[in-house]
This record gives sequence, C-alpha cells and structure tokens, in this order.
Amino acid sequence: MSPLRRVLLSLAMLGVASSASAHHSFAMFDLDKEVTLEGVVKKLDWSNPHVWLAISVADGKGAVTEWSFEMGTTGMLTRAGWKSSTLKPNDQVKVVANPLKNGGASGRLVTVTLLDGRVLGPGSPVPPQAP
Amino acid sequence: MVTRGLPCLVHGIVAMLAVGAAVAAEPEGQPNIWGVWIGSSGFPNVDARYRNTPWPALEFTAWGAAESKRLTTPETPDQCMPYGPMAHMSGTSLFPLEIAKTTKGIVVMFEPSPLPRRIFTDGRAHPDDLDQTWLGHSIGHWEGDTLVVDTVGTNGHGRPLNGYLAGSVNSKTDFSPRLPVSDQLHMVERIRLVGGGEFLEDEITVTDLKTYTRPFTVKHYWQRRPDLDVLEYFCIDETRPPAAEAHTGSTQ
Repeated sequence: MSPLRRVLLSLAMLGVASSASAHHSFAMFDLDKEVTLEGVVKKLDWSNPHVWLAISVADGKGAVTEWSFEMGTTGMLTRAGWKSSTLKPNDQVKVVANPLKNGGASGRLVTVTLLDGRVLGPGSPVPPQAP
Repeated sequence: MVTRGLPCLVHGIVAMLAVGAAVAAEPEGQPNIWGVWIGSSGFPNVDARYRNTPWPALEFTAWGAAESKRLTTPETPDQCMPYGPMAHMSGTSLFPLEIAKTTKGIVVMFEPSPLPRRIFTDGRAHPDDLDQTWLGHSIGHWEGDTLVVDTVGTNGHGRPLNGYLAGSVNSKTDFSPRLPVSDQLHMVERIRLVGGGEFLEDEITVTDLKTYTRPFTVKHYWQRRPDLDVLEYFCIDETRPPAAEAHTGSTQ
C-alpha cells in the first residue's frame, strides 16, 4: 500500500469512527437549514440511544442515494405516536430534515409524511398535556 | 401448642413493632409526590416560578476543568452509562421520571437511565464502609412536607450533565461545558410539592470540592403528568447498526 493510500485510508477510518460515536449530539447537523427528500423506506432502525430512518432517494437519472435520518429515543417516538411498525421497507415517504453540515446524505429528521398523509416528528419535544 | 404459639406471638409483636417503627419514620398525610413527572421548564405557558433556576457561574477546580474539557465534545464519551444523581434529577423536559414508594423508601425511575435511584427512608444512616456506585447511597427523611435527601458514595463515572439535560444550551450548539461530578460528591436535596401539588420542587445543593471550588444550589421543577408513562430505554452504542453508513450516505 502506498503511503498516500495508507493516509487516505486512515483518514477514512477516522471519519467512520467519529460519525459512529456521535449519537448523542445533533451538533453535526445544520439546524438552520432544511432539505426535503422523497423516497422509499429502506429501514427503520428502532433502537436506542437514537432511532434512525434510512430511505433510498432516486435522482431520476438512474442513481439512487441512501439517506439516513436521526430521531429521538424509542420512548420519545412512542410518545409522539410512532410504533416500530409505523414504517416498512418500500413505503413511500417525504422527509424534511436538517442536513449534515459536511454535506453528507444524512440529517436530523424534522418531519416525515407517510403515504396516508400522517405527519410525524422526531419525538421531541414531549407533547404538552391535553387540556 | 403453647410452646409453639408463644414464639409466634412474640415474633408477631416484634414484626408489628418493626413495621410501626418504619411507618413512624414518615408522617401521616405524607405529601403525594408519587407518580409520573416531567421537567416543566421546557413547556410553554408554565409559570416562571416552576422553571429550573439557572446554573450559577461555576468555578471548576483544575481536576473539574480537565474533566469537563474531556467531556465537552459533540460525542460525549460515556454515552450509554447510567447517570449520576445530579443528572438523574436534572429536571429535563426530554424524559419523564416516576416516583414510587417501596418497602424501604422511595425509588425514582428516570427513563433514560438504566438504574432506579433508591432513597432509603427507613432510618438507616450511610454505611461507614460504603462501596462507590453510579448513583451513590441516598437516605431521606421528612421534615414537615419536605423530603430531605442526602447522597454520598458516587463512583464519579456517571454520564455528565450535558447541555440538553442542563437546559443550558440550545440545540444549535450543544457545546456548553459538561457538568461532571466526581466520587467526592455530596448532594443534599429538599423535595416538596408546590403549585397546589401540580409541581415538584427539588432544591439541590451540590458540594463536590474535587470538581467545583465551592458548593452551589439550584432548584429544579417537574410537572405532574399522569398521562405519560415512563418507558423502557435500553442503550448499547455498539449494537446500533451502521452509523457510518448513515452519516456518510452511500450511493448505490
């Protein structure tokens, strides 16, 4: 392996390690910016510390990009009306998200619109008590 | 029969006395602190009297400053560990907690922490040879309508109070100094109902001279929320599927 290739590989691994451990902060997302994406569900990863939604987004020219969106905890989402079965693979969805600052295909989920028209959020804040 | 019955009677009286002693440690008409609560500060239209007081200007010791700096990263290093007692009682509006009575005192279950916090109100003291634990050893007694809780014996490894839980930063930065506590923490709380019983106040005095140069006091508030359940939260970072893919995206 060439020295350059080795350096690039190391940098890539550092990037992976950094992003893999960044579950508890949303500092990596640009909360002043929103993107809207339409696609089909690849996976709803119903786990803690945070739930993730992966969708496949086609650009209409034959390329498909997988986007992933971070949400709250399973408990937060449960309180907000979610179930682990709310989204299934191949469900059509529209997602509004705060994208990554680094331009990667990921974001903090703001809303997701389901096929039946329901709009769900990321689980936070907790809804106020009904009057 | 007599020889068998007498010891039973004696045991019964001893047992009744023991129960009586335990009950006597708590006043009649004990305030109804039981049930599910959530930090009131994060909700609009909540009376300003029931919002967490700001954290005072805290002065770290050299150890505390180094520890806070170590923890002040977007990726708090100890993500899925239990909270220490200060974070357990942070008054956050993100997660509810539930307070319940047990045979030996009180238990406080805070949703995102895997450990219940046990407060013994059966008259015991802190043990002399206390082994350090995540939440430490808590003993409580009632002074009128106020539950006074004394906590020592933390191991100093609990998740620090980060910006979100402290309510000290907005979600756009989350880079405020983490508020760690050490294995020298001594926490005294005065817990009482306020607002006609719809709010819970916890006046928390933290003395941790390994971390902070002087003691400080904050007041945290929760709102009674019987409509909420404290749900299961189990967290192991390593089992989370590929965040690397998630964060970088992948083109098929």
